[in-house]
Amino acid sequence: MAHYDTAVIGGGLLGCAIAWHLARAGTRVLIVEKDQVNRHASGQNAGSLHFQLEFRMVEHGDDAARLAARALPLHLDAQRTWAGLEAALGAPCGVALRGGLMLAETPAEVAALDRKAALEREYGLDVQVLGGPQLRELAPYLADTVRAAGHLPGEGKANPRLVTPAFAHAALRHGAELRTGHRVTALHRDGGRWRLSTGDGRSDTADTVVLAAGVWTAELAAMADVRLPVFPVGLTMSATARTAPLLPHLIQHVGRRLSMKQTAEGNVLLGGGWPAKLVTRHGRTDLDRNPELRYESLTGNADAARVVPAVMRLPIIRSWSGMTTLTPDQLPLLGPVPRRPGLHVATGGSAFTLGPTYARLLASTLLGDRPDLPLDDYSPARFGALNFV
Amino acid sequence: MSNPTDVVVVGAGPAGLAAAATLGRHGARVTVVDEQQRPGGQIYRQPPTGHTRTGRRTEAGRALLAEAAAAPHLDWLPDTVAWGVFGTRAGLDDYAGPAPAPGRLRLGVHTPDGGRTLEPAALVLTAGAYDLPVPFPGWTLPGVLTAGGVQTFLKAQGLLPGRRFVLAGGHPLLLVVAAQLVAAGAHVVEVAFSQHLRTLLPGPRDLAAAVGNAAKLAEGAAALRHLRRARVPVRFGTVIRAAHGDPELDGVVLSRVDAAGLPVPGTERTVACDVLALGYGFVPSTELARQAGCAVAWRPAEGGWIVDHDDWMRTSVPGISVAGELTGVAGAEQAEVEGRLAAYGTLQTLGLLDADRAAALARPVRRILARRRRFAAAVLSRFAPDPAALNALVTDDTVLCRCEEVTAGDIRRALCDHPHLGTANAVKLLTRAGMGLCQGRSCQPAVCRLIAEQTGRSPEQIGAFTAQPPVKPVPLASLAAAARQHDDQG
Ligand SMILES: Cc1cc2nc3c(=O)[nH]c(=O)nc-3n(C[C@H](O)[C@H](O)[C@H](O)COP(=O)(O)OP(=O)(O)OC[C@H]3O[C@@H](n4cnc5c(N)ncnc54)[C@H](O)[C@@H]3O)c2cc1C
Ligand SMILES: Cc1cc2nc3c(=O)[nH]c(=O)nc-3n(C[C@H](O)[C@H](O)[C@H](O)COP(=O)(O)OP(=O)(O)OC[C@H]3O[C@@H](n4cnc5c(N)ncnc54)[C@H](O)[C@@H]3O)c2cc1C
Repeated sequence: MAHYDTAVIGGGLLGCAIAWHLARAGTRVLIVEKDQVNRHASGQNAGSLHFQLEFRMVEHGDDAARLAARALPLHLDAQRTWAGLEAALGAPCGVALRGGLMLAETPAEVAALDRKAALEREYGLDVQVLGGPQLRELAPYLADTVRAAGHLPGEGKANPRLVTPAFAHAALRHGAELRTGHRVTALHRDGGRWRLSTGDGRSDTADTVVLAAGVWTAELAAMADVRLPVFPVGLTMSATARTAPLLPHLIQHVGRRLSMKQTAEGNVLLGGGWPAKLVTRHGRTDLDRNPELRYESLTGNADAARVVPAVMRLPIIRSWSGMTTLTPDQLPLLGPVPRRPGLHVATGGSAFTLGPTYARLLASTLLGDRPDLPLDDYSPARFGALNFV
Repeated sequence: MSNPTDVVVVGAGPAGLAAAATLGRHGARVTVVDEQQRPGGQIYRQPPTGHTRTGRRTEAGRALLAEAAAAPHLDWLPDTVAWGVFGTRAGLDDYAGPAPAPGRLRLGVHTPDGGRTLEPAALVLTAGAYDLPVPFPGWTLPGVLTAGGVQTFLKAQGLLPGRRFVLAGGHPLLLVVAAQLVAAGAHVVEVAFSQHLRTLLPGPRDLAAAVGNAAKLAEGAAALRHLRRARVPVRFGTVIRAAHGDPELDGVVLSRVDAAGLPVPGTERTVACDVLALGYGFVPSTELARQAGCAVAWRPAEGGWIVDHDDWMRTSVPGISVAGELTGVAGAEQAEVEGRLAAYGTLQTLGLLDADRAAALARPVRRILARRRRFAAAVLSRFAPDPAALNALVTDDTVLCRCEEVTAGDIRRALCDHPHLGTANAVKLLTRAGMGLCQGRSCQPAVCRLIAEQTGRSPEQIGAFTAQPPVKPVPLASLAAAARQHDDQG
């Protein structure tokens, strides 16, 4: 048994990044991970650094888009953070910010693009809607069906294989402890501290606890007798064989599910929110099994890629599924849990793109500093009436 | 898309042909899918249409091909890749009932006309096996082939892929291929067999098991005699250490090994050749079964990961049966017998055969199978390569994953830097080993052996690369076309 200032539950991007900030500030930190670092969403995602609003945020009309836009201050911060991340961690993370394009093919989509860009500019995000020769010159690889694109020069990609291990390494260098292969099975208050037990009969204490457990966050919160409104969703990714550079930008679509980019190695990655089916067992979602890939998602995602004709001849060599957390309003769930002193949570939203930002803000809360962005919109307290006894 | 197929058989080797013919004869509507142009699988491989046949097919192969050709209700889909099984994992609860409803299983296929699905009530997977790749310095040079690959050249095209051949490895097929090469007029410079002769000589238990399997033993013995007569040196206790040449193979380094199978320093010698054929055994092609969610088991003597099954060849996934090499590498005769058994099991599931009649039909088949399995356990298992001996062939500079050019040293370093990692998937994610066009087929065994050596973890703990669709590369355009096909049909 040992005592820590903070115990972080979850060895994904959020857990490792939070631990890095805390360890760097000289506090005693433990990361507990039930499997291996980067084994889940943080290692499975598309690696998109999208700072424009995503399709899922604009597909449900203007009111929903306006609500989702409340995360835009985080997008702006994330854009700066990623640009300096490799230097800060002293490790390559595959960050490449060569611009992103959000495509529109129909007049209705062009209109949606214009409304989206107007909303983004309100928050200070400089999205330009390009069309005609300007767009062709920037992206000659696009299909003729593409009429316009929202362009943001600071968008791009990072390599999910590298980012979280880099955070973990940096945290370890600053003295954080990492325990993998240990699952937290109990979490409760014990004389002014939190006590967490791992399956092997071992238990440790900490002044503060961070739940950064991805889709398992609700399960952990329940151990502390808290109901958090977070939902797992299954997502699909596909990768082509490597090919010569053909796609410098991050590609998204304003009217359908699509994200596309080319990795440094040359594979084109396809994703964009195509669902995978969560596995159920005895009528309940089984989070310990990877979601089942759906035929419709693989073929639908392939069809959506037609906006870049050159990729259509490439062979798909693998696809995979993963799970990520959504909240009812699509905003992050970030901050202290009401009526559970010392218990904090970080999950939800686009937590690859925004993860480094969430981590920095939550760490400053934990260290007793005032975060430099207001976090009220993301706080668990917004669901208070429903969930905290 | 629905179509009137009861069963899809994936693979038209001996297992698939026997399963399909038996199913068809008992009234099941069967579709046989094979990525090859013509049926036959590995052993009864036929030349592509339009080419003249040069190889000699065995009596058994001819009979089986004729039986399948004559069976009713059989639909052939040649040149077709089966790339994914859908609808088997989610909602496991749904599978409480004994029989899968028609349309429950969905198989994604890529045909010469594009992508589509087949939706049978049952699947019989008989995807066979492929040569175990064995890395050592120089193994990626042009001119370094597998024994199976050389045989394919001979069988499919009647071609000799070089002039001076060295064969190295530890599987009996090596002797058979060497004899075939000699018969085809090739110059076989040497056959290097990794095992010592004394470990290969049969003991009393093996002789008992060999009763009824004499043909199989005789094949190996005949090949050896053939080679001796042609004065081809067959050296036991000898392994390949390196291949040289630029840009193509011009020679190999061989050396002696000690009783543990480890190279003896100072015994290296160079032999000039332009083809090196490696034969260390076979790896079952379990990827489609694993992708479908079928449980697997680790059986090193039978090729590594094999698909678990009951005594009707049914896997852990309802509606999916297996037969042939993916249940453990054991040869063509056993594959054929298992194919028939899988058919009898599937016919019961479909309600086309009652249990008594199935049991009666299966009885003679089971007798043969029991004999084959005894033989396989006693004799073939001693040809299983030893992991430490294979690891000893690998230097830090040796490329393990040739698609992504990841060396053994890269993997060792990754494991040192990340001592908390120790599964095949984690190493893949970290190093890219296994992420290339071959989808990990050529590096997985070596990567897993290295992880085991470095971390002391068991093969079960290390696992395999997760098998995901598409289990074979499929053009993006084919998948996209399939999406449109679905839209059209609502
Ligand atoms: C296919 C896919 C594509 C995506 N694409 C993008 C994208 O392009 N851009 C973007 O911004 N986001 C994307 N996301 C979302 C993004 O990946 C996640 O938001 C982010 O990785 C979340 O990080 P995390 O650390 O919260 O979760 P995770 O990486 O899931 O980490 C949580 C960890 O907690 C551990 N854990 C859980 N329970 C316990 C316990 N009881 N004890 C100990 N440990 C425990 C888990 O094992 C896990 O490792 C995508 C997600 C998926 C699945
Ligand atoms: C290269 C090689 C050479 C061999 N030579 C000999 C020999 O000389 N003597 C001997 O006794 N044994 C030999 N064997 C072993 C022998 O071939 C096998 O024991 C026997 O063929 C096994 O039969 P099977 O039906 O299980 O598989 P196979 O005969 O391998 O048939 C499997 C079939 O499935 C097809 N297939 C696989 N995956 C897919 C997919 N996803 N979609 C569509 N089709 C698919 C393949 O094209 C193949 O035709 C050899 C094996 C190999 C691999």
